[in-house]
Amino acid sequence: MKEKDVLAEFPEQQVIVYIEKEDGTYDAIQTGSFISANYIDDFFLKRKNLEKALQEKIEKREINAIGYYMIYEDLTISELAARMGLMKWTVRKHLRPDGFGKISEAALKKYSMVFNVASEEIVSRQSGNRK
Amino acid sequence: MIIENYQHKMAAHCESGSITSLLNYAGMKITEPMVFGISSGIFFGYFHAMKSFAFPTFIVRNKPGQMRKNIEKRTGVKFYTKEFKNQLKGQQALDLLISKGIPSAAQVDFFYLDYVPSWERVHLNVHFIVVIGKDGDVYKVSDSYFPHLVDLPADSMNKGRFAQGNMSPKGFMFYPGFVPESFNYEKAIRRGIKKACFNMLSIPIPFLGIKGIRLFAKKITDWPSIARDTEHLSHEVMKINILLEDQGTGGAGFRFMYATFLQQASEIIHKPELKDLARELMEIGDGWREFSLFAAKLGKNRDLGPEKFQHLSNLLYQRAEKEEDFFKRLSKTIK
Repeated sequence: MKEKDVLAEFPEQQVIVYIEKEDGTYDAIQTGSFISANYIDDFFLKRKNLEKALQEKIEKREINAIGYYMIYEDLTISELAARMGLMKWTVRKHLRPDGFGKISEAALKKYSMVFNVASEEIVSRQSGNRK
Repeated sequence: MIIENYQHKMAAHCESGSITSLLNYAGMKITEPMVFGISSGIFFGYFHAMKSFAFPTFIVRNKPGQMRKNIEKRTGVKFYTKEFKNQLKGQQALDLLISKGIPSAAQVDFFYLDYVPSWERVHLNVHFIVVIGKDGDVYKVSDSYFPHLVDLPADSMNKGRFAQGNMSPKGFMFYPGFVPESFNYEKAIRRGIKKACFNMLSIPIPFLGIKGIRLFAKKITDWPSIARDTEHLSHEVMKINILLEDQGTGGAGFRFMYATFLQQASEIIHKPELKDLARELMEIGDGWREFSLFAAKLGKNRDLGPEKFQHLSNLLYQRAEKEEDFFKRLSKTIK
């Protein structure tokens, strides 16, 4: 791979790529991320659509806010249970559309830590009062 | 306090980059490709259904932590390592090292690093950073994926170091406790290459090494039936490009960096055949890049019909064949 074939303009995300130089030796260069430079808008569009689709599922009572963040952050029930330090069946119970109200304050706080969002945000997402 | 004479440098990968950087700081002159090669970093594994992953995925490097262990075994370096059950003790130990002027690598979940842009944040418990200072409640961090030193609040550092889940960091940190004045490069390089060839060709597990590339080729045609919807499928297909090019691989799923290692090794151990093999691996890497760029384009255009997945599958079968032939010859060359 030659240098000219990997260069991409994206100052917000730099990567190191190993390339073949003019003299035939290989070395590292710093460049912008190719995929972010070319497709970042598509990524944000998909995230927005996913947010909307998941919020609609909450409103239709197909999932609750915990399920929203689990899917949004690409976690599985197993992984979420491990991160919460809970049994899988407990997390399954929390994930039921009607299970949200049964989640203790402490568990909600832990979920908020795992998802890295405020507890209030999870609650408002569940109630559909998000601004 | 900041460890002033620590030189931050971007690297292709977080683990090989952290190890290289810490060894350079400790006085050992070694490049990142050499660390990667000696530690048999190159690999492939495909995971079609694992409880920890929400969608099939693949890896292109050996197990996290293995690079450090292999470097120890093959160069004589001794790393001081420590895990913690208690978060406070973990933080105190890290702070103590900073106060003593010892930069150390810490394992963290990438997701909690505030300085990482939102589009890059994923839950990944095996990211390595080097901690080189602390000012009040903010750590000064050398992260191989960023051009400059970055700041990380102590709260986020603790969340990252003590995240739970698959391969949880448990506050793990390491730094070189002993670095030999010299080591037998030839022996280390040969052992590194032999193990890499074994990993790619001979591990008797159907989803690892070349077998893993073939399994990926076989299973990728199932992806449309696993995805939630078209946008999810598009996202996962585009992630192929991210995993191969963007997530700290040096391009083409580490193939370019391993080729660089082979070129450097050829000079050190006076084996010109390795230079030819390096060139060949660069070309194999070009094929991986072609595959990943094609995947990104398909995802962007939502061009996700069965014939496109069949084409992706064919490209993967080609990579498997090329790599099988390549690693067989590399193995013979190094014997």
